Amino acid sequence: MFSQIDARSATPLYDQIAARLRIAIAAGELVAGEGLPSVRQLASQLRINPATVAQAYRDLEADGFVEMRQGAGTFVSDVAQEGRQQERRRHAVHLVRKMVAEAGRLRISPEELRAAFTEVLGSRSK
Amino acid sequence: MSDAIITAALQYRVGRSFEISHLDLRVPTGAIYGFLGANGSGKTTTIRLLLGLLRARAGTITLLGQPMPARAPEILARVGYVPEQPHLDGTLTVQELLQFQAAFYPGWDWSLAESLLGQFDLDRHRLFGKQSKGQKAKTMMLLALAQRPELLVLDEPTDGLDPVARRDILSALLEFVAQGDATVFISTHLVHELERICDWIGVMDNGHLLVQEPLLQLKRGVKRLQLSGLPAGATPPAPATLLSREVSAPGMETWTVRAWEPPMTGSIAALGATVLMETDLDLEDGFIALLRAFRIGQTR
Amino acid sequence: MFRVMLWGQWKWSRLVIALGSVAAFTLPVLSVRGTASVDRFPVPPAEFLGRVGSWGALYPILAATLGLLVAMAAWAPDHRGRHVHALSLPIPRWRYAFYRFGAGVVLLCVPLVALLIGALLATATVTPPAGIHAYPVALTIRFALALLIAFAVIFAVSGGTARTAGFILSLIAALIVLQVVASVANVELDMVNRLQTIFIGWAGPFAVFNGRWMLFDV
Repeated sequence: MFSQIDARSATPLYDQIAARLRIAIAAGELVAGEGLPSVRQLASQLRINPATVAQAYRDLEADGFVEMRQGAGTFVSDVAQEGRQQERRRHAVHLVRKMVAEAGRLRISPEELRAAFTEVLGSRSK
Repeated sequence: MSDAIITAALQYRVGRSFEISHLDLRVPTGAIYGFLGANGSGKTTTIRLLLGLLRARAGTITLLGQPMPARAPEILARVGYVPEQPHLDGTLTVQELLQFQAAFYPGWDWSLAESLLGQFDLDRHRLFGKQSKGQKAKTMMLLALAQRPELLVLDEPTDGLDPVARRDILSALLEFVAQGDATVFISTHLVHELERICDWIGVMDNGHLLVQEPLLQLKRGVKRLQLSGLPAGATPPAPATLLSREVSAPGMETWTVRAWEPPMTGSIAALGATVLMETDLDLEDGFIALLRAFRIGQTR
Repeated sequence: MFRVMLWGQWKWSRLVIALGSVAAFTLPVLSVRGTASVDRFPVPPAEFLGRVGSWGALYPILAATLGLLVAMAAWAPDHRGRHVHALSLPIPRWRYAFYRFGAGVVLLCVPLVALLIGALLATATVTPPAGIHAYPVALTIRFALALLIAFAVIFAVSGGTARTAGFILSLIAALIVLQVVASVANVELDMVNRLQTIFIGWAGPFAVFNGRWMLFDV
């Protein structure tokens, strides 16, 4: 799940982890009530600072995506449909932004990009 | 006790060749502090000074709130040390080494030792000297962790190891850290490893401490800027520092800076210049730029 | 702490201790061979003492060798690791050295006891001629002293840095070389003997190595 975590990126690790978990919850990869690995387990598994994992979990809790229960661990909250939709929308915008930025660097015009988009999505719905 | 390690104006010299001058280290309790520097920059010497293996010429060292080397035996009971080179008796088996350490450290935890033995897949009846490099490194880490120390001082613990051994050692270390509030002082020249696990960073070069701050802060502030319309001799606004400058045309410069903050673009505009592009540098590039700048004498 | 250190030192020196103990046991026993009466004619006292005494020179050599080897073995593992492990232990340096010393002494008791047993056995199996008495205990005590002194001196030298130990040993080597060169060049330079006289002849601790080591004496 966390194979994309890149310590060299400008985005802090805790943000990357929180983002990944957020979209996983929104997409239903992680269901409500499911337990997340403990801070200790995840830190050890990913070989990153435990404080980083703790920060990610805290951020998720602040956003209402998870619940940290003393002594028991961290569990996925039952995020309302609207919350999940909002997260998916947010992530979609993030993906498009990345694509547009890269296209811009390679001098691909917005029209060319739009055409490619339609082509790919069109072929997918078939 | 707010800091696990404090040194003030630490000085050391060996003949004429090497010196450490005015080292002011500050390692907060509970931090994983990465001590970064090129080979030969003085990292191992600093560690030896911290642990009382070498005597400083001047300055003070406070470890876990107590002065070194005055209170060395009491302090060392709470410190786990993994040196660069294997330092244990090669004629003893792993089991005998465990028994040896257990006799000296009041905090020794046999159940942790046993569990790490299994985790590291070490043969307890094997002579220490007959193990592979990775196994020796694991044994030394095991001995340090099973003491349940408050402070771990690690000198390049994964250097030269195969990826599997490195992974096992780091996992065990992080698991241990996650359980309590041990402080870790890890010296390394492996920037990528440091980037993952450390929350504080100290950069050393040629006996001097160039930088000492939270890792995220350093990373956020290190940028490459492309500027145009710059008046000659312009410098970034304080507290940002210029690490390197490339002039491609009059007014067109590429700066590598440290401690850059977004509002500073305003001061650049005030000079009549524009920031054409701002790129984040990864830690390795930042580290190289920092070292280069120091060696040329541009920083401080 | 002492126990684990003793174990480590034992592992390093067990061969030396084993061989040394065998030698210490055999020496007195061998020294009384050929002194038993033949055809019910007892051996004359002078000859008896001569036979026993001829083995005497081996005692100080054995003591010195054992002391030397056990002292070197005491510090060997520390030297290998440049004392890093020892210095990082939560114990003052002097206490660590003290335990190492004590462990060496304990280990040296093994050949010492072997000597005592051998000496007692030797004196029990032989009836000395008239006027000659057996001194197994005195011999053992003297051996103990020699062991202790040899061990202590080499222990102190070895316990320093490799540099200090190397310095002292090279100094001794240089003296020997100088002596050899001098004797080859026929120069009157009797340094080794003079030093020997100073160290061993003088009524100091090294005197224990001097003189005759007699299991039997008048």
